Amino acid sequence: MDYNEIIVLLERYWEGETSLEEEALLRRFFSEPHPDMPEALQEAAPLFSYFQEEIEREYVMPEKPEQVPIPVATTAKVVQLSPFRHWMKYAAVLLMAVGMGYAMKQHQRQEMKARIVAAQQLKMEEEARLAYMETKKALQLLAKNLNKGTDKMQKLAYFNEAAGFIESSN
Amino acid sequence: MDLFLTQVVPVRQKLYRFAYRLLGNEEDAQDVTQDVLMKVWSQQEKMTELQNMEAWCMRITRNLALDKIKSKKYRLADELDRAGEVPATQHSPHAIAEKNDVMIKVRQVISELPEKYRTIIQLRDMDGYSYQEIADILELDMNEVKVNLHRARKAVREKLQNIQVYGL
Repeated sequence: MDYNEIIVLLERYWEGETSLEEEALLRRFFSEPHPDMPEALQEAAPLFSYFQEEIEREYVMPEKPEQVPIPVATTAKVVQLSPFRHWMKYAAVLLMAVGMGYAMKQHQRQEMKARIVAAQQLKMEEEARLAYMETKKALQLLAKNLNKGTDKMQKLAYFNEAAGFIESSN
Repeated sequence: MDLFLTQVVPVRQKLYRFAYRLLGNEEDAQDVTQDVLMKVWSQQEKMTELQNMEAWCMRITRNLALDKIKSKKYRLADELDRAGEVPATQHSPHAIAEKNDVMIKVRQVISELPEKYRTIIQLRDMDGYSYQEIADILELDMNEVKVNLHRARKAVREKLQNIQVYGL
């Protein structure tokens, strides 16, 4: 191919006006050795060599079949699983239920105990109050009876006084 | 399921290559490709409505790869690390060294482009996609693709000229 044609094509390439076929042509041209290549083409030579190299370079992704999503066929046989297959799950649920039940029972028992203690406390206070009232009543009665005695003693004092007075006048 | 097997599984290598170029790392490219397949598999009902399944898969690949880059504050593999990967030819050691040097520089020029430009050049010049397909993959208007490709090539040309003239 004439160098002039390539120069024109390359100019169109820089302008972004070339088609895919023309770009392939340029790559092909630059992949072949041209000892008398004009200077106008020399600036692009390394770029096209690089493109060619990148195109030929193989990026092979290592096969990892286990990571590729495996399509599940709709006609796949349905395998019945035994309900006891996951016995540990059931055991764990049961264990948790038992644990929670036990905890609740313990809590109830403690509450009941606290209530009984409170009731006993109340009863004792009531008894103490009653005893106090009884004692107070008894002491009041005693005081009343003692006051009765002072009246009689007062009268006796008058009598003694009168007897003394009579004796002194005689 | 048939669509998945006939249209998605065969483009797996292409998706991997695209992811690899974006991420520059084999392991992450594999992860992203697997994620893309899983995502496509989970959206099977959408497949029948699509006009270009491959472009859709490529788009998902790009989005997931960019997400990964963002999430990991990704650092693209040093270009020099890949210098040794340039295949040796039958030329003299001096010619090989010179060619490798040039290749490293070109690779560097491409890698220094903004992500959009770089991807467009890769899709067009290395993968041979049409403007419409690139527009579908990048979710751009076809004219935008053309404009961006023109700008990208212009930027590459300027840098190559600098290298040639000043050896920069």
